[in-house]
Parts: sequence; structure tokens; C-alpha cells
Amino acid sequence: MAATADLTATLPRADRSFGFRLALPAILILVVLLAIPAILTVIYSMHNVPPSGVSFGAFVGFDNYTLIFSSPVFWRSVSTTAIFAAGFVVFSTLIGLMMALLLNQPFIGRGIARAMLIIPWATPWLVIGILWKWFADGSVGGLNAVLTQLHVIGEYHEFLSDPKLALPLTILATVWRQASFAGILLLAGLQTLPEELSEAAQLDGASVWDRFVHITLPWLRPMLITVIVLNVIYAFLQFDVVFAMTQGGPGDATQVLSILIYRQLFAATHVGVGSALAVVLGVVSLLGGLLVVKLLYRPDVPAT
Amino acid sequence: MTTLVERIALRRAAEVRRGRPRSLKATVVVYVCVLLFAIWVLLPVWYLVVSSLITVAQLGIKPFPIIPSSITLDNYLSVLTGSNGGKGIGSTDLGSRLLPAIGNSFLVSAVLVVFNLVVAGAAAYAMSRYPFRGGRLFELSVIATRVVPAIAIIGPFFVAFRVLGILNTPLALIISYNVFTLPLAIMILKNYFDQLPRELEEAAKIDGASRLLTLWLIIVPIARPGLVAAGVLIFLEAWSEFFYSLVLTNQLTVTPLLAGFQSVQQFNWNALAAATVMSMIPPVVLVLFFQRHVVGALTAGIGK
Repeated sequence: MAATADLTATLPRADRSFGFRLALPAILILVVLLAIPAILTVIYSMHNVPPSGVSFGAFVGFDNYTLIFSSPVFWRSVSTTAIFAAGFVVFSTLIGLMMALLLNQPFIGRGIARAMLIIPWATPWLVIGILWKWFADGSVGGLNAVLTQLHVIGEYHEFLSDPKLALPLTILATVWRQASFAGILLLAGLQTLPEELSEAAQLDGASVWDRFVHITLPWLRPMLITVIVLNVIYAFLQFDVVFAMTQGGPGDATQVLSILIYRQLFAATHVGVGSALAVVLGVVSLLGGLLVVKLLYRPDVPAT
Repeated sequence: MTTLVERIALRRAAEVRRGRPRSLKATVVVYVCVLLFAIWVLLPVWYLVVSSLITVAQLGIKPFPIIPSSITLDNYLSVLTGSNGGKGIGSTDLGSRLLPAIGNSFLVSAVLVVFNLVVAGAAAYAMSRYPFRGGRLFELSVIATRVVPAIAIIGPFFVAFRVLGILNTPLALIISYNVFTLPLAIMILKNYFDQLPRELEEAAKIDGASRLLTLWLIIVPIARPGLVAAGVLIFLEAWSEFFYSLVLTNQLTVTPLLAGFQSVQQFNWNALAAATVMSMIPPVVLVLFFQRHVVGALTAGIGK
């Protein structure tokens, strides 16, 4: 087939079919591994699935969803997820932006600093959870050591057992990683900013702030939108760090949706309810991403 | 310290000579920010590394010895050899399981790198050069896979793998990790192929080379930087993955092993820190080594 088609390689139809055949393995793999399980999960979500999950069990329509939406546990988890997501997105984007601006300045050791920027991003999420759990530990933790040395706190504190502080600390840990990700992307964006643009403005007497607002920020806009959209999605899907640091506790102080679903599926083995929750989470993260695009994307600004 | 100050002064003098001096105030602000940046990135990592190099007794000191008086490699020896010498890791068998887990992580990640570069490379090349019917839809679907929560498709995987009898094998992970590594590889390589000039292929076509031969002999060699970057990112994602491995295996790879070790009572943080450092080294070293490639590909593949 391929050999004869090559003689007429100029024919678009032959080229199209060649392209399709090249892409076919990837298409098949993604259909089998993503589309089918996703559809199965949607079907699960409408059944009273036995814990083994081998059969669907009785069809219950939208009962699982009704159960979820009438459950206060779910709504507490939604609000925890929302707080987590807001803190995660705002701080990782802002700190990432500040780091990118800093590392775009000339200074001695910039190469080393840029390499350092990569380290948190290259660290597995789970390791970040373990690292910060122990860093915040009440007896051997480094955070307590630093804060007592600086006289911010008087004595050692069990931060992660404190329902008020557990969630902010999981946010801090994830921001530590994700700010680096944002910083890497935004720094790359800054490096493509033509220097003449900034210099011309400087000659016109524009202040540092003016230049930031009127030149740098608009230039970074497309990259910033991408970073924020990705951060929103990452925020809703975050599991590893919370699992390692608090497993959702103390109580349900850090029980974000992914942890709640995990508990439903694997601790309580409510496969039907857990699947319905998973569908809700997928829809929420999709809507979150779309909402950000809608809010931030202005068609009048050419996306470079 | 003086040498650094001297170097900063020299650089400032050079800036003055070039007629574009940064004000003294700005210079101070930049270096203070650099210091804060270094503390932000390095403090948690430093805490982890120091923890892995000190004894249980030193760990008990309050405040935590941020600059330890003496260091030891005993923690590394105990997690590598499994012998705890009566002072190490209690009743857990982490020591005898860490190396096999690291081996499994390497195996799964390496197989995925090779497999995904072939499958995603072919698909990405087809999308870039031979746009086929449905290609655009496929590309959108590949992007959309980002919002699918792993937890929403893990249930069907678990059931299917149990039926196939491959739960708790590297194969289960090699199959399931495709869900996120394959779309990532496709996006990065598609963008990379889009940037490559088409002239060489056209010349090859005129010379009568078949399309597959052109792909293999012309494109693969010049696309090597993109393939390397995609390979590193696939490795990074596969190495860092925790959730699938947690659910589908019994601590087969390094991430769930660390998480499991963390919830065992009889152990100490020093040994866990040593194991954690060892699990961080492969991805961090790999990314730092290929820094330029990886950042470029990441920005091009994700930033669009």
C-alpha cells in the first residue's frame, strides 16, 4: 500500500491517509485508555456498583448525583477545594511572575539562580508533600526552627494538626512547586521581549512601573493566560501533596475533592458515588479552565 | 563575601562605563531579592538534605540544626542495604525495598520514553505535515485530556487489570501512564515539528524517497533536540507519578513506597529523608542536565 501510494505522493488524499495511518496507534491508545474508561466511569456513576466493580449493579439514574449534591460533606469539600484553588492559582502565578522578573535582570550568579528555579518543578509532587510535611513537623521540623529563631513564634507548634493552618500549609507547599513552573514559562516569555521596546519607553521617561504595566504585562499576557489556565486545572486535580501532608485532615480541614473521591472509592468502596464525584470534578476543572480563558482572553489583543 | 561585593562593584563599574548604570538602590534591591529567592527555593531542600545526613540524636535537637555540627552517611547506608544496625529504621523493610522500587521506576519510565517517542512522534509528525481528516479534532482532544482527573478513570483500569491479572506489575503502570505521557509527548513534538523547515523533506520527495524513509532518515536526525526534550519530560512525568502506582500496585515504584513508609509508625525521618533525596536525584539531575532543551520544549509545547 505505502509503496504504491508513494508514487502519487503529490495527491493530497494519499498524504492524508498516510498521515492518518501514522497517527493511528496514538489515536487507538488514547481511545482505549482514556475515552473508554471515562465513559465507563460515567456509566458507573449512574449505577449502584458493588464494591468489586466487576458488574455495574442496579441502574439508579441520577440518584448518586442527588446524594452528592444534598450532602454537606460534599459542599464543605467544594469550599475547601475552592479556597485551595484560589490560593494556589493566585500565589503560584504572582510568585512565579516575581521570580521571572527577577531572573530576567542582570546579576552575578544568574545562571545558577535559573538552574535553582528548575529544582522545585523537577521534584515529584509526592516528594514535595513529604518534604513539606516534615518541614512543618511539630518536633523535628525546619519551619519551627526558623520561626522560633526569628522569634515569630515562641515555641514549637504542630502546624499540620491545626485545622486553621493545615490548608494554608498545603497551599504553601504546592505553591512552592508551581511558582517555579510559572516562573520558568514566564521567564521564557520575558526573554523574547524586544529590548528596544523597553529602552524606547525608558528614553520617553516612562517609570519602571509604567514600563511594567504598559509593556511587560501586555507582552506576557498570552503566556500568563496559559499559566493561569494550567494552574486552575492543576489546582482542581491536586492529590499527591495533600495526600502526603494531611490525607485530608485534621478532620476534613484539607479534604479537597480529589481526596474525598479517593476515600469514597477506596476506603468506603462506594464506586457509584465515587464515580459520580469524579465526573463532577472533571466537569468542574474543565469549566474552571474555560472560565479563565473566557475572562482573560481578549480577541483584540493579538496572541503572539 | 568580600569577593562577591567586589564583583558586584566591578560589574556596576562596567555598567557605568557602558552608560547604562543601574542605580545603587536598584542594585541593592535586586541582590536582596536574589537572596530571598535563594532562601525560598533552597531552605526546604536544605532541610531535607541535612535531615538525611544527621543522626536521630541530632534530629532531636531544638531548634533543628540547620548547620549540623557533624554529618553521617548512615541513613543512606541503612536505606540502601536494609541493615539498620539497630539504630535505624525500626521494623520496616524499606531498606530492602527501596532499590527494587527505584529499579521499577527506572524500568517503567524508560520503556515509556522509548514507546511514546515512537508513537507520539509518528502522530505529531502526521499532524504537522500530513493533516488528516479529524486531525484537528484529535489535537483538541489531546489538549482536553489535561482536565480528565486520573481518579475518574482509575476504577475501570483497576477492574480491567485485575481481570487480566496484571495488577501490581510494571506492565500495569506502563499501560496506564500513557494516559498523561502520550498527550504531553504529542503536544511537544507537534510544536517542534511545526518549527522545523520543510525544504529538506521537499528535496527528499523530489529525489524519490518514500515518506517513511524521509521521516526516518531526514526528520528524526534533525528533530533530535525536540525528541530529547520530549523524552526527558516523559521520564519526569512517569518517574513522578504517584496516584496510578498507589492504586494499581502494592508500592511497586518509588513514590508509593515513600508514601507508605511515611505512614508506618516505627521509623525515623532521617531514613525517609535519605530515601526521598535518592528519589529526587534522577529527575532533578536529568532536567538540570538538559535544562536548555527542556525549558524550550516546555514553553513551546505548553505555552501555546
